[in-house]
Amino acid sequence: MPQERSPKIRANSRHSTSLHLHWNKDILNDHDVGIRERTVVKRRTFLQISSAALIGIGNRGSEPAYRVVSAYKTSPQPGMPGPFPGQVVSVCSAKCIDEAKDEVNPAAVRDMMDAGMRQLTGESSALQAWKRFIVPTDIVGIKVNCVGKPKVVSSPEVVAEIVRNLVEVGVKPNQVCIFDRFAERLIEMNYGLHLPKGVQIHGAEASRGSIRYYDPATYVEVDFFGEDDTRSEMIAMISKFTKIINVPNMKDHGAAGVTGCLKNIAYGSFSNMDRSHRFRKTHTYSFVGRLAAVEPVRSRTVLQIMDGLRGVWHGGPFALNPRFVFYPKQMMFGTDPVAIDRLMLGIIEAKRKTEGVVSLWDRTVPEGRDRNDPNVSVYIREPGHIDFASTLGLGVSDLATIKLKEIEA
Amino acid sequence: MMLALLLAALPMIFWDQGPETAAALKQNGIEQVLVPAERLPAWKGSGISVRGITPAEWSALEEASAPGVDRQVQVASATRSPYLIANGWRFIRNRSGKYRYALPAGKAPLAVAEAFAYAASAILQLEAADLESAGKMLAFVRALTPADLPGLADIAVIDDQHPLVGEVMNLLARRNLLFTAVPTPNPRLPINIRIGSKEYTEEEAANPSDFALKIRRQLTDDRRSVRIYGSETVLCRLTGDETRIRLHLLNYRGGKVDGLRIRLRGAFRKGQARGDQIREIPLDNFGVSDGSTEFSIPALNMYAIVDLQREK
Repeated sequence: MPQERSPKIRANSRHSTSLHLHWNKDILNDHDVGIRERTVVKRRTFLQISSAALIGIGNRGSEPAYRVVSAYKTSPQPGMPGPFPGQVVSVCSAKCIDEAKDEVNPAAVRDMMDAGMRQLTGESSALQAWKRFIVPTDIVGIKVNCVGKPKVVSSPEVVAEIVRNLVEVGVKPNQVCIFDRFAERLIEMNYGLHLPKGVQIHGAEASRGSIRYYDPATYVEVDFFGEDDTRSEMIAMISKFTKIINVPNMKDHGAAGVTGCLKNIAYGSFSNMDRSHRFRKTHTYSFVGRLAAVEPVRSRTVLQIMDGLRGVWHGGPFALNPRFVFYPKQMMFGTDPVAIDRLMLGIIEAKRKTEGVVSLWDRTVPEGRDRNDPNVSVYIREPGHIDFASTLGLGVSDLATIKLKEIEA
Repeated sequence: MMLALLLAALPMIFWDQGPETAAALKQNGIEQVLVPAERLPAWKGSGISVRGITPAEWSALEEASAPGVDRQVQVASATRSPYLIANGWRFIRNRSGKYRYALPAGKAPLAVAEAFAYAASAILQLEAADLESAGKMLAFVRALTPADLPGLADIAVIDDQHPLVGEVMNLLARRNLLFTAVPTPNPRLPINIRIGSKEYTEEEAANPSDFALKIRRQLTDDRRSVRIYGSETVLCRLTGDETRIRLHLLNYRGGKVDGLRIRLRGAFRKGQARGDQIREIPLDNFGVSDGSTEFSIPALNMYAIVDLQREK
């Protein structure tokens, strides 16, 4: 039975970059044989995880029983933590953004990215550095974050610079796809204005809650609070990507403590996520890492580029109140999402300390729904989700072990 | 007696407007209605098959609620699950009951589907604005291949008229926990609930949502005959025998559900699905493993049926 094709949604763009719910047929050629049928044929359960195995290694309370179903094997060298575990390059630039105008300087972003990639890899040129991760035949997904719109998002200038480098390597624009869960956020962001013709934009949910474009054969099943829908399925498009580049922001998160590399790739790649934080005591502590570790997400996410030009120190993941937006003016590069997030956590925590508000680690913060009051919270924050992810082999969270290289661009 | 004979497999329309609306009824495929008894003479020669119903007969029918979702946005709640207003539990509880719906505009097509799915004897009083949509739903269910199959259940609820039993049944139905109402325990089902017993106390049953969760955990999700993924507003009724099943899917949300995953306990061969507005629904990613059958349907408007044959 041929797959019903959903209509393309044209972004308001100078170029013919398209926002769509299916990968264009002409890109994948022989790959395009129908995601959903193909995955079921290969359906196998590669791992089944019980919480019991992890009791006593630092999880707060009891971890719920997760059942992970995936048709994909772990790569011998998974992208996370990748070739540079425990290593982070931080590049700062005072010129990267004009705070008064809130305008990003694309030239400064290019300098930051060149310096960061060269420092990370030890290569003498940016092109050689990118070639360490990407080959011309790759189909590359770029996982952006648009939740903190209008300001604290994966900056179009950063995304554009990544795409420029991919094209330099030899990847055709139509082999690149900007993706996120919610189509309407991508429409609002209109990345197409900044990207070369042919780059694809994919929002998995044209209507909120729809699982139509998720992969029914790749999911995490868990019952948190007695919710009836206990599955979180992976975005089907991810199986088309040979490589994924993760582009998170530096943000506070009311439930998870912070949201960076781990949460962007985890909660941003699976359906039915908000059920983990429906009550004050959430399950973000373990769910973030569990999802990030699901194949093929873990193996194919080969590069982490944290956009810290702007940040949010309270009220995240949103950035509705400008009072809580700040300007770290830095980017972080690495392959280890845990190490980057651990450092980012320190940046948000330091900013909160400067502002004189409660710590992200404080579990006794009074309950309150006023998002404009940094000293109350709806949820008990779980910044320990980063440490937990390290126990899954996703990276290094021990600050004493993480090697940070700081550069001024 | 006359009324009881009229109430057959298809829901009936109660139409309190005059014969000048006969053309509108016909235009929407409605050839038979019940009208207020005093108006019966006026409808003669209208070309519509009409029967009269007296106020006493109408009042004697059991009331069904207008189906849908009550968002209850003004109420703080311990759950974000949508509050569904559904009548399936009533129909299961009293299979020989005769029901009446008094429907505000926008509710008629779902009520038609709901009554049909549960094979309930029901009369629907609807607004003129719903004539077209109700007519379309009636045409859809009329065209379905008849399948007079008994309801399937995982749980027995002993209906001893305990005052809490109705709400317990309501919550079980809203969580897609398939139950049957029985006068005495059914030893073939793994769970038999008698409210007020040591195992199922009145105190627990006084919180039907938590009580339903307790039952679900006792049954376990693996042993549930049906699981629905991708929507909290789709309720199902499962009917079947030793050779085949028919799964009824009712969407209470009021808008299309884009993508559903369904898991059925047992092994089935790929069959067919039909829905209102989406007549031929593909069963995508159909697979049988670990004693269960799973498939996806790309979209559900308001009502669909899935017919499957059991693997031998």
